[in-house]
Amino acid sequence: MTKSIFIFIAVLLLSFPLTKLYGDFTLVDQLLFSFPLILFLGLPHGAIDNVLFLRNTNEGNTKFILVYVMMVGAYISLWFLSPTTAYILFLFFSAYHFGQSQFSHYVKSSNLLIKLLNFSWGVSLLSGLVYFNQSDINQISASINFIDIEVLHGENLMFWIFLISTTSVVVLFIVLSVRGILTTETLAMELLVLFLIHICFVLMPLFVGFTLYFVVLHSLKVLQEEYTFLFKVKSRSSLVKFIKLLAPLSILSIFGTIALFCLIYYELLPISYGYLFLIIISSITFPHIFVMEKFYSISRKE
Amino acid sequence: MLLEVLTIPKDDPIAFTFFIGYMAMLAASVFFFFERGRVDDKWKLSLLVSGLITGIAAVHYYYMKDYYVATGENPTALRYIDWTLTVPLMCVEFYLLTKVAGATKGLLWKLIFASALMLVAGYIGEAFVPLNADGTAAEGATAHSVMWGVISTLGYIYILYAAWAGEVAQLAKKSGNPVVIRGVKTLGWFVLVGWAIYPIGYMCMPGGWLNTAFGWESGSVDLFYNIADAINKIGFGLVVYGIAISSSEKKAA
Repeated sequence: MTKSIFIFIAVLLLSFPLTKLYGDFTLVDQLLFSFPLILFLGLPHGAIDNVLFLRNTNEGNTKFILVYVMMVGAYISLWFLSPTTAYILFLFFSAYHFGQSQFSHYVKSSNLLIKLLNFSWGVSLLSGLVYFNQSDINQISASINFIDIEVLHGENLMFWIFLISTTSVVVLFIVLSVRGILTTETLAMELLVLFLIHICFVLMPLFVGFTLYFVVLHSLKVLQEEYTFLFKVKSRSSLVKFIKLLAPLSILSIFGTIALFCLIYYELLPISYGYLFLIIISSITFPHIFVMEKFYSISRKE
Repeated sequence: MLLEVLTIPKDDPIAFTFFIGYMAMLAASVFFFFERGRVDDKWKLSLLVSGLITGIAAVHYYYMKDYYVATGENPTALRYIDWTLTVPLMCVEFYLLTKVAGATKGLLWKLIFASALMLVAGYIGEAFVPLNADGTAAEGATAHSVMWGVISTLGYIYILYAAWAGEVAQLAKKSGNPVVIRGVKTLGWFVLVGWAIYPIGYMCMPGGWLNTAFGWESGSVDLFYNIADAINKIGFGLVVYGIAISSSEKKAA
């Protein structure tokens, strides 16, 4: 059991009864819970993309940041040109990225089967999140008025995507286990984790459930991997150095996001909070995924 | 006594599990006590503890089945008396397994304290839940059971941590004995999955979330507890037995 899995189980067990005691979570309540956690614990895992990408290369930081910002800008443009395409693409590469980080510590090489597992696992995760939280999704869909979102999140379609992707994950687990890539214990643990994540999505409101997964199983795990990658010797001073590395872009992103939300609040930006949240998250995720692909490829070799 | 046995309702799975639980615990105790003679000296105490766990549970199940059949009510007090004795003994098993690698009395007391916290908080949460005269949940029932459930969970999380990543897991690793490492890992799985059945039962009490969400009856509490007890107590003992036998056979060879 990895540290992040243990923390996830502990947090799930402790927070589930408390959410039931709280009663009905409105979308605003959920966002008030999730937003600070995603900002302060989620965003930083992408705040040293430049350090990770440029390690052992002679390329300059300015060029990297320029390309990174252009990719973010390109994705924001896609949202204005074709929101449905931007949304579907975001789901696709997020699915792959979530799966990739989930299995990063097991796999020594990344072949087609592993890539397929990464993708199927992420699709199972996201489709489960939508399928088990239909009422919250419908409320959000009403505020994000790009044409096909209600069709995309239809209960029937989500059920089949969830069923097919989850079955694929189980089959791939078994195949990888037979080939000796995953041990029997790993197989059992990963099946349990997938089950617990979906239980979390069933029991918790949409954003609360997703935040628990995103912060604990994804961000904290990636942060730990980044720390281990950059600092071979763990000490108090290396942790301080790591935090100093994370701080500048984390603070910039946090203030930038808050500033954009303020623009909506003061009616200077005519879109909903949910829509802006989607645009921000997807636009910064787009270049981050390319960096993480390279990061995992280097860290496997090292 | 035989007449009481004949009064088991044919359509009452809870009563069935009480009787099956009783017989299974008794049979397991006999098995552990007899097999104790076949293992190496250093494992005899572990098998004695395994036999005591199922033996104590068998006696309690004997009383609980009668109580349930006679009254149709949950034998909450008897259940928690049983657990107060047997769960710390399960923690003793962890200590005994890792003693060779340097487990201290301090670890044993920490595990016992965590299990006591888990059980005392669980008992207060379950036995003193505010009820109306008709047995349904009164105002404040959910808040009461949630608060004590969360406190109880803290004890569980400590034991889970100790078994998977904390002192117990580290000591098993340090022992260098693959049988002990595998055994502690298996016991860790029992704590992670087997013990997780208990909160499901807890959430079936009047005002519990599973009752309100799925319309389950509070009788389900005992169904889950009986299944969990059979899996965990006998399973725990069998894992320890497996370690003892493998280790003894290796030594003999």
